[in-house]
Amino acid sequence: MNPTVRSRRPASPPLGFAPRYPHVREDHLDADARRAAASKGLTRRDIGRKDYPPGGLNIASAEWKVLFIIVIVAVLVRMFRLPQPNSVVFDEVHFGKFASKYIKSQYFVDVHPPLAKLLIAFAGFIFGYDGNFDFKDIAKPYENVPYVAMRMLPALMGVATIPIAYLTLRALECRATTAVLASLFLTFENGLVTQSRHILLDSPLVFFTALTTFVWTCFCNEDSHEPFTESWWTWLTLSGLSLGAVVSCKWVGLFTIATVGVGTLKQLWLLLGDLRVSPRLWMKHFLARALCLIIIPIVFYMSMFGIHFLILTNSGDGDGFMSSEFQHTLRGKGMADTYADVAIGSTVAIRHVNTQGGYLHSHPHNYPGGSNQQQVTLYPHLDSNNDWRIINATSEVDPDSDIDFDEPLTYITAGTRLKFRHISTQKYLHSHEIRPPVSDVDFQNEVSAYGMPHFVGDANDDWIVEIEKGDKRDKESGKRLRTLRTHFKLRHALTGCYLFSHKVKLPEWGYEQQEVTCNKNAVRDNSLWYIETNWHPDLPADAPKVNYRLPGFLGKFLELQQVMWNTNAGLTDRHTYDSRPDSWPRLRRGINFWVRDHRQIYLIGNPTVWWLSTFAVVAYAAVRGFLILRAKRGFRDFENTKVVKYDTLCGFLFVGWALHYFPFFLMGRQLFLHHYFPALYFAVLLCSGVFDLVTSSLRPRIRLQIAAILIIIAVWNFSYLSPIAYGSPWTKAKCNSARWLKTWDFNCNDFLDDVSSTCTS
Amino acid sequence: MASQSQLRGRKGKGPALSGPSLEPYEEEDDHAGSGVNQSRRQSSLERTLNSDKASIAIVGVLTALAFITRFYKINHPDQVVFDEVHFGKFAAHYIQREYYFDVHPPFAKLLFGLAGWFVGFDGHFQFENIGDSYTTAHVPYVGMRALPAILGSLTVPIVYAIMKESGYSSVVSAFSAILILFDNAHVAQSRLILLDATLIFFMCLTIYSYIRFRKYRFKEFSQEWWGWMIATGVFMACTWASKVNGILTVVCIGCAVLVDLWDLLDYRKSSMERFRNHFFARAVGFILVPLIVYLSFFWMHFAVLTNSGPGDSFMSPAFQETLRGNELLLNSQEIRYFDTVTIKHKNTKVFLHSHEDRYPLKYEDGRISSQGQQVTGYGHPDSNNHWQIIPTKALPETGRARVVRHDDIVQLLHVNTESYLLTHDVASPLMPTNQEFTAWPKDDLSRYNDTLFQLHLVDAHEGEAWKSKSGHFRLVHVPTKVSMWTYQNQLPDWAFKQQEINGNKNAAEKTATWYVDEIVDSESDPSLPDRTGDTPPQEPKKMNFFKKFAELQILMLQHNAGLTASHPYASSPINWPFLLSGISFWTNADEQKQIYLIGNIVSWWTCVTAIAVFIGIIGADLLARRRNIEPIPDPVRNRLWNNTGFFILVWAVHYFPFFLMSRQLFIHHYLPSHVASALVAGSVLHYILSDDTLNYPISVRGDTMRPKRQTYADLGMRGPIALLGFTFSLLFFYIYIAPLTYGTPGLDGNQVNARRLLSTWTLHFAAKVTDGA
Repeated sequence: MNPTVRSRRPASPPLGFAPRYPHVREDHLDADARRAAASKGLTRRDIGRKDYPPGGLNIASAEWKVLFIIVIVAVLVRMFRLPQPNSVVFDEVHFGKFASKYIKSQYFVDVHPPLAKLLIAFAGFIFGYDGNFDFKDIAKPYENVPYVAMRMLPALMGVATIPIAYLTLRALECRATTAVLASLFLTFENGLVTQSRHILLDSPLVFFTALTTFVWTCFCNEDSHEPFTESWWTWLTLSGLSLGAVVSCKWVGLFTIATVGVGTLKQLWLLLGDLRVSPRLWMKHFLARALCLIIIPIVFYMSMFGIHFLILTNSGDGDGFMSSEFQHTLRGKGMADTYADVAIGSTVAIRHVNTQGGYLHSHPHNYPGGSNQQQVTLYPHLDSNNDWRIINATSEVDPDSDIDFDEPLTYITAGTRLKFRHISTQKYLHSHEIRPPVSDVDFQNEVSAYGMPHFVGDANDDWIVEIEKGDKRDKESGKRLRTLRTHFKLRHALTGCYLFSHKVKLPEWGYEQQEVTCNKNAVRDNSLWYIETNWHPDLPADAPKVNYRLPGFLGKFLELQQVMWNTNAGLTDRHTYDSRPDSWPRLRRGINFWVRDHRQIYLIGNPTVWWLSTFAVVAYAAVRGFLILRAKRGFRDFENTKVVKYDTLCGFLFVGWALHYFPFFLMGRQLFLHHYFPALYFAVLLCSGVFDLVTSSLRPRIRLQIAAILIIIAVWNFSYLSPIAYGSPWTKAKCNSARWLKTWDFNCNDFLDDVSSTCTS
Repeated sequence: MASQSQLRGRKGKGPALSGPSLEPYEEEDDHAGSGVNQSRRQSSLERTLNSDKASIAIVGVLTALAFITRFYKINHPDQVVFDEVHFGKFAAHYIQREYYFDVHPPFAKLLFGLAGWFVGFDGHFQFENIGDSYTTAHVPYVGMRALPAILGSLTVPIVYAIMKESGYSSVVSAFSAILILFDNAHVAQSRLILLDATLIFFMCLTIYSYIRFRKYRFKEFSQEWWGWMIATGVFMACTWASKVNGILTVVCIGCAVLVDLWDLLDYRKSSMERFRNHFFARAVGFILVPLIVYLSFFWMHFAVLTNSGPGDSFMSPAFQETLRGNELLLNSQEIRYFDTVTIKHKNTKVFLHSHEDRYPLKYEDGRISSQGQQVTGYGHPDSNNHWQIIPTKALPETGRARVVRHDDIVQLLHVNTESYLLTHDVASPLMPTNQEFTAWPKDDLSRYNDTLFQLHLVDAHEGEAWKSKSGHFRLVHVPTKVSMWTYQNQLPDWAFKQQEINGNKNAAEKTATWYVDEIVDSESDPSLPDRTGDTPPQEPKKMNFFKKFAELQILMLQHNAGLTASHPYASSPINWPFLLSGISFWTNADEQKQIYLIGNIVSWWTCVTAIAVFIGIIGADLLARRRNIEPIPDPVRNRLWNNTGFFILVWAVHYFPFFLMSRQLFIHHYLPSHVASALVAGSVLHYILSDDTLNYPISVRGDTMRPKRQTYADLGMRGPIALLGFTFSLLFFYIYIAPLTYGTPGLDGNQVNARRLLSTWTLHFAAKVTDGA
């Protein structure tokens, strides 16, 4: 091997060809495309002069102009008569209300994470909203609310989605025509337009989903070129931040995380198979991704909740969802310190641990059935009827005579046999073999209050204390009852059942307070109790006092996640306009957002765009399946670079679509058409990808003409249905002709026969 | 042809001549001499243990033990235990030939019926409550319990056979069988009149036949090949027809067949024609045959149950009319105009009702009503439930034209208040999205249009007559297209807590179905008494079997999904492999006896460990091979993937779908998976002990293949020692837990506490630990 021989060897690929077509991936271009590429200014080869897909923002100035025009169009479409209607629309009821809560910093609980709501509240705050509007009902007119500014935020995000879609497709190596097609399809999608014009969370969600897709695509391009460069790190970090933002809007963002996760796993699996990559280098790849795609989103997500807690410092209507410790951190919910030591003779308020039902309570009303004795319930508010005196069950002393002050305090240890005397009605906490009125099952016994003044009580009043757990930092509390620190069970001495409560409300005769029973087969969590306030006449004034321990940020964060999860899972009631996932791709039904004065807003997609996108998804799946079968029979399609290129492109978008769609089938909660929007975004991009493939062998002019026709149809279709997107006047006749499917249930009878009468009314 | 066979003949002798064109592409486990540890000869111990005689002896002992464990004190308790309440009752229905409805397919229950009939059960005992005595009612319950006990016992030798056929040594096969033999959950479940023993028995047979079938894959389309395939199909159908979750076995075999077919599709292995033949052969064996068998069980089910019984009301009117003595058959009549009727809601069983009181002007939430007359749903018979059907077209004086038909437009006149039923675009009291229903005075014609309703009979053909009882219908308002609807929600005090009736905008709403409960005698139609007077005793009508089947099958699925009520012993699937909770089947407080369904903790934990180990091995191997390191020799890996992988598939398919089900779930749903995991445990034990040796080849050699060198698995002394160790610990725990399994002898509090191995087991009669303190 001598060097001269080497230098004489002809360059391969041949000189002159190399700089223009440096990359194998371009092999799929046929003669037409190459000619076009050479002559047209719009293709990327003439722009970046880089030998890998440009990614990011490297597009030509001509394209910037196109993009600018598209954005202007999007602004016009999204912002058209934004102040109309000037009354509350659909879920503005909730999200508007939450903005008020933020501004008044009253604590609330919602099933969605805070980012989008914070942004909306911020918009309201900037424009001087005072938080005093109640957003009570749909179609309630706004008074003193800068609702246009608040609607502007989702609208702007809706607009921003459009150029991002354009850039994403360009970064995915699609042609400019394709990118224009996709962005205009999204611009004229009635559903996205309707959804982004109101104070709703889906527009920010779709925006951040789109942003993540874009940033991740750019990262992938960098990664296939050269890893660990500065721009590689930038895009990777941005991906992480963007992922954090999606998931901080709605938990649906987890699907976006899954999409990126699948992509990451694929990259790592390929790297693992590449024997040139040393294990050390592989670890570096792995750790970089773990840091940016796991740690950063988590930190971002948690910091959103940090802001959430910082703002919501006052007690509000969300208190009831949270534990007592949590509530204690809110202003207006504080409690005075209380004595720590519980002894025979103490007057206590006993609270249920697992539910927020409140205090063990009794009142002078009787059960209508069963034993007809006095009711015992859980009551959430402070009240003198929550006070019980602890009495030693083994000594028979007249309960109404004063407690013997001379005797030393007897602390209450595990196994102590006690009676609990309800102070205001002078009755004992009692249970017996009678079925409770609501949970009428074999293993439940009724709990009542029974007795009379000067009555020593009977054996059915006896309860045995079982200490379940004490506080780790208070050693004593594991051995004997200490206020707030000890969780204990009360076993009924005769029947062996445990004092129990669960989230079952008594009917009206029990004032809808929570049921208390004695359960022979009790779930542990629901039979735990603790003492919240405690007072004993013998205790000196300087006896040790305790109060709730304030939970730290992490504790509050985790508790709120738990509450959100449970609330979310509990949203199973049917809603009139809910729908199941299988109906979404077919656009079978929309949602009635708002009806007033013979105008309506009804969320329905643009059928052209919607059905084309669904068709693209099905077509891709079918063709891909067919290709796999062919490969099995020995055809070598997957060695064709064109197939590989489009398969990679469409495969990524298809996975995105599938991961944003199929998980909904597993959800039992209420679902609505707008849950399909993130998936729709991917489907529209996929549709454009298919367009790119189908027209790849056509001349650019013809390709442009086809795109133009598709866009014109979409725009026509948009304008056809636009009155119910904007809430503009419409006529009965037009409405009826626009009901293409019987299942689109907007109410045409509500419209007037001609437009002029709408204006006068 | 001659030269072909010559060439082939020669190939047998000279391996050097092998050529791809002459031989079917060799399958994965075709790996003669590629790394198996052949140098070592099979030890004499191994040879003795694996001889046929030894194998028969082992099977004999295992089967005998299985019968002993399953039949020990099978007559105890002589009371109805747990779900015997249901399945015993169904057997009684079969014997009485009374139609009943259940979510499970009929095969296993037919067997119980058969067993009951065989031992002379007359079907009069109704199995009403857990704890009802059999002896006082003279029920031959032992005979009925013997059936699952026999099937449960036979499962043990089948498990042995599965392992043996999969190429494992006798020791390993016996190990898997013993995991099932000494498992308390299997024993407890198969000693009672429950479906699971049948299910598991046929599932094991399905797996066994499928493995036999796979072993004939080199002799495709031979008699044995067809035989075992059809056997698989038949057993699969039996599994499926035993219990609803038997469908998982079908799915599981389906997956395996798909993988197999996918393999055959490879262009290097078979021509398109060969593939097509395979495909259609499997379509016959795994789809057609099972379907016929499955349907034939339903055919028997319908053939046996010809009388009206407790299941009637689940079925459609057309179906009910096929049952002898059914109420519809006896009382259903055509409705004519001007009849006065009472109308009942199908789901909530309330009458359409109205009374003088009016809707309040303003509701609590501030909305305004029409203040019209209230229309509500009322649960009890009352003259305010009477409505007269008024025509909207001219009628002849008499004759068939007076019959009300499908799609007719009618008015409903409330008889007591002389007003027409009406709905309009006013929100209903409780649901702002639905329309208010009210009634409008008869004389005021200004709202005539709003009183028109169209009668939509469910699944009716054009011109079908409307009949009482059987004519389920929806009442759709003509101008606004809403459907009269009600649901379980009470109106406030102003409507006396009666149920709200409103107009549902989804006109095709399934729950908006009503029927005419009764044609009330009425003056305006004197012909009524004639119509009801002398109806001849009607013969049951005929109905197409497939229609009946389709209806029943759909109902079964719907009801299965609807079993969501909570049960104190229901558990979530994640608990099952770890044996975290059991089910209390039966208790006897006097003698402190109880039956508690719980597995043998050694057996279950061994199985779940084995699965974890297997996943670990496969995972590590995949990663290593990605880095070009091959830690496991090919033949061993092939056995792991193809055989153990199949067992894992069985396990996973019988387990994971439960996570998606929102119905009540119990630990006995895991028993099929537990059998599969015992198979996995056996093969993992083999992998650990065998030192990369294995029995090979185990498949039947094809005619065109050269014979391969036989290699043998050799566990040496390790095998028997491990087996003995496991057997003793299994037996020990089995006997220890046995009082809970057999429900005898009674245990005192401390003994119960001692048997509560995990704190999550909720046993009865436990001693109170804190009493003395």
